[in-house]
This record gives sequence, structure tokens and C-alpha cells, in this order.
Amino acid sequence: MGTALTYTEAELVLGLKSRSEKHFGYLYDHYSPALFGVALKVINDETIAGDVLQEIFLKIWRSIERYDIDKGRLFTWMVNIARNTAIDTLRSKAYKQGLKIQELGSAIAMEQFVVHLAVDHLGLTKVIEQLNKEQRIIIDLAYYKGCTQEEISKILDIPLGTVKTRMRNAIIQLRTILKQL
Amino acid sequence: MGASSYISSGLIEAYISGLAAPQELQELETAIVQYPEVASAVENCRLGMEHYIMLHSVPPPPVVKQNLIRIIADEEAGRLNRIETEETQIIEHNPVRKVFVSSSWRWAAVAASLLLLGSVLLNYIYFTKESEYKARYNTLLTTNNSLTSEENSYRSRLEQIKHSLDIVRNPSMKTVKMPGTKPFPTAMATVYWNQTSKEVFLLPNNLPTPAPDKQYQLWAIVDGKPVDMGVFSLTSNAEELLQKMKSIDNAQMFAITLENKGGSPVPTMEQMYVAGKAS
Repeated sequence: MGTALTYTEAELVLGLKSRSEKHFGYLYDHYSPALFGVALKVINDETIAGDVLQEIFLKIWRSIERYDIDKGRLFTWMVNIARNTAIDTLRSKAYKQGLKIQELGSAIAMEQFVVHLAVDHLGLTKVIEQLNKEQRIIIDLAYYKGCTQEEISKILDIPLGTVKTRMRNAIIQLRTILKQL
Repeated sequence: MGASSYISSGLIEAYISGLAAPQELQELETAIVQYPEVASAVENCRLGMEHYIMLHSVPPPPVVKQNLIRIIADEEAGRLNRIETEETQIIEHNPVRKVFVSSSWRWAAVAASLLLLGSVLLNYIYFTKESEYKARYNTLLTTNNSLTSEENSYRSRLEQIKHSLDIVRNPSMKTVKMPGTKPFPTAMATVYWNQTSKEVFLLPNNLPTPAPDKQYQLWAIVDGKPVDMGVFSLTSNAEELLQKMKSIDNAQMFAITLENKGGSPVPTMEQMYVAGKAS
């Protein structure tokens, strides 16, 4: 992936905990596209998403001491930081602009399938085409916009009690498609 | 609720997609601990979600990395300066070194220097006890082989040594627990690191017996680089015996790898059994 050096996850964590800037560079090179993808999906604005990505990596660097390799994979830990940071920004931005969360939801509900050509080789188009619109939206609303069950029930106009069942079906469908990639 | 009803309830998918309410989250976290099937269903679901996330990867603008490298370099430089200043104020004879010193070590340094200033007598007693302990320890090592038939008296002597260890442990003896790494979850070892004399002792609490041509090697991680702290063998009572390793002035972590007999100049990371932070 661009650099000849490779580290195991344990080595990488060890290096980061001893505050090696070289290990941080490696971490950034390997994980920034995935985490930028998260920020971009949440924020939908390349410039703000860039600022958010910077904040995400500073949080990772500053709180790596608290990461415990026994409690989960490094990627899971970093993605949680990325998602929370981006959603916090989204919510505060929405708040400032006086937007209601429901409007935010409607905005993605109307979003077209915009797939970055640069990443199409990963198979995203194929996945999105095979998920039905409602399945795609319910995953995106919950995961990328941080909507609650109540919010999703209002946005999609479905009973509150069925949100979890719909989500389960959507993720089962998603995992089936991913297995075929 | 049983394991299978958790799996079919939709709670796992709600949890992974960030949809679970706080009380649902708590419920599922309990179920994960209780049922291995639930734990593996959660992990499989998480892997699927992470795969989906990875599909959305987009290369970020290069300016973000440049900014980060600059901010981090500035922060580290600022921190090192701060530590140097504090270090030279507290411990005057210490030459200025560019090292990372954690706050707990700084407290240990404050405690140690207060002790030095406050009571020469206490130090004297402490060092006497420490050499007494070392003498006992060396005696024990040399007589270890002949002791297997006298296990009971041996154990009571070990109790004495443990008692001595308790005495030397405070305040200069720092304990660094090294739990097992992911591939070797049951492995465990402890480093006892004298913050005054810099001596390092190792207690292999639970390490599997290595093949005859292999030997464990202790490493200190200093500024991201592994430093050899010596190899050691597991004797029949290894889990009760302290082994003296090489001394070291500062280290952020300790780790043990399994290497060919005689040790290796660099650690084999895949064979890292235990690791623990020193700060």
C-alpha cells in the first residue's frame, strides 16, 4: 500500500503507545481513506470532512493510551472515534444552521447514488445496486447520520416497533451481498 | 432471553448500526459476556459493517496529513521541553535527555527524591534489605537444582523471598504487569523495576515451556525501539522465581518474545507472548 514497511497490529499499537511519529505516519497512510470515507458520508462536504479527519487522527493519537488491544480490533476502535467525531460535527452544524434532524434525513433520502469513481473498484456500486433503497437509507441514517429509532421511524414513516426488524433485514441483506464480492 | 433469541431479535444489528438505545446496549453487552454465540454473532455483524465502511474509502486531501505531522511534531517537541525542564528541576544530577517520561514515573521520581532528601536512614535500611534479598535470591538460584526434593522447605523460603520483595517493592520498585497478547491470552509475566538502581527483575507468572532450541527474551521498548533485556529459561519453579535481567534507565513498555536459544538482535513480533506498559 505505497510503503514497503509493514507492521502487525500489535507492533503498530506498541509503536503508537510509545509515541513514534513514524508509526503514526504508517497508521495515517493505511487508515485515512477509510476514516475519510466515514467523515465524508456523514458530513457530505469535502472541506469540512477534511477538518473532521484531522480532528479524528488527533483524537486517535492523543487517546491511544486508552486503547486496549484485548477489548477489540484497532480498526473498530478508530472507526468509532471517526463516526462519533463526524456525527458530533454534523449535529452541531445542523444545530447552528437551525436545521431539524428530520430535514437532514430527508436530504439523504433524496440523495442520488453518487459513487466516487476512484473507489468504484472496491465494489461499492455493486453493493448499493443490490440493496433496495429503503435498506440503504436505513443503514445510512443510523450509521452515518446517527439517527435514533424514533427519528428513523418519523423519516421513513414506519412504526417505531418495526425499525429494528427492518434494520436487521437490511444488514442481513448487506452481508449476503458483501459475501459475494 | 436465550442466546438464539438475542441473535434473532435485531438487537445485534441495532447495536452495530449505532441504533441501540442505552439500556439495549447494556443488555447486549451482558449477553456478549454470557453467551459466546452472541459474541461471535456481534463480531461477524461488525466485520460486515466494517467491510461496508471500507467500501466507502476515499483518499483524503494531502493537506490533512501535512497539518497532522506538523501539529504532532509541535506537540511532542513542546512536551519534551516541558519534561526536560521539570526533570532538571527535580533531579539536578540527571543529565538532560530527550526521553518521554510519563506522569506516573514523574510521581515516582518525586517520591524517590523526597525519600532521599527526607531520610538517609530509610534509604540505608532499604538498601540493606535489598542486598539481603539479592543474596537470598542468588543463593536460591544456585541451589535451585538440588532443591526439588525439598519442595516444602523451598516453598517456605520462597514465602520469605516474596516477603522481602514486598519490602523492596515500595517506593522504588515499580511493578509492570505484562498480560498475554491476543495469540497467547493465558500468558502472563511481571517485571519488577527498581526506579532507583534501575535493576530489572522478571517473574514469568505463566509462560508455556518452550521447545529445547527456543528461549524467551525480554525487551524494553524505548522511544518505539525494542532494546534487548536478556534471555531467560524457565526453571521448574519459574513462576515463583525472580530472574535478574539487564538494567535499564527508562522504558515505556516491556514485552517478551520467544526466540532461538541465545536470543535475537530484533524481536520476532509474531512470537510476542506478553507485553505491558511501564507507565
